[in-house]
Amino acid sequence: MSAQVTLATEAFDPAELLGRFSRELEGEGAVVSFTGHARDRAKDGALVDALVLESYRGVTLASMEDIAADAMARFDVTRCRVVHRAGRIAPGEAIVFVATASAHRRSAFEAADYLMDRLKTEAVFWKREEGPLGRRWIEPRESDHEDARRWHP
Amino acid sequence: MLELELCGKLADVGGAFVKTVIPAEGCSVAELFAMVARQHPALAPSLDASRIRACVNEAVVAPNARVMPGDEVALFPPVSGG
Repeated sequence: MSAQVTLATEAFDPAELLGRFSRELEGEGAVVSFTGHARDRAKDGALVDALVLESYRGVTLASMEDIAADAMARFDVTRCRVVHRAGRIAPGEAIVFVATASAHRRSAFEAADYLMDRLKTEAVFWKREEGPLGRRWIEPRESDHEDARRWHP
Repeated sequence: MLELELCGKLADVGGAFVKTVIPAEGCSVAELFAMVARQHPALAPSLDASRIRACVNEAVVAPNARVMPGDEVALFPPVSGG
């Protein structure tokens, strides 16, 4: 049982992370992974030059570790991997990677879904889009909160 | 005296750090918000206590938590990862 959580300040390769995660399996039958990439357009279609994620000292990593520990406790998963970028992210680059492993698929799917819902709404980051028209802060949408509430009935 | 770090979009309004005078015996987080608003009027409209949370010495705390001069305090607007 292990959760490995990283706050990455440089670009990372999700395929390489997934490969390593899969090579470290010890008999589990299911692996689920999700990668979030920076988009080149804002919701309203405006061009985005970069996504900038600010973090705060040790609090950001601690918030990610708490979420991963909760996922390990809540679901029948044997391991999970969470990597989240901070800093300036170019369109197309990976922002977040989660992978989960379990004996059977359902727990791995649910744990990955849970990790992402809580990272979107509770991980300590402040996110802004920068483009030709200036900068714009992005906060979780109501739909993000609704997604997260599914896990707290 | 307290040097507050303003995170996210709060820094757009007030700069990354603001100094705030608090009583030598400390105050609650709720009282701190009122003092920041009084001493930095430009920030007042952004300090909706239902949306802004205080982080004291690297722990997010409740409005009734105590803040002492010299504590490491940051104000967090709503967070968003992913």
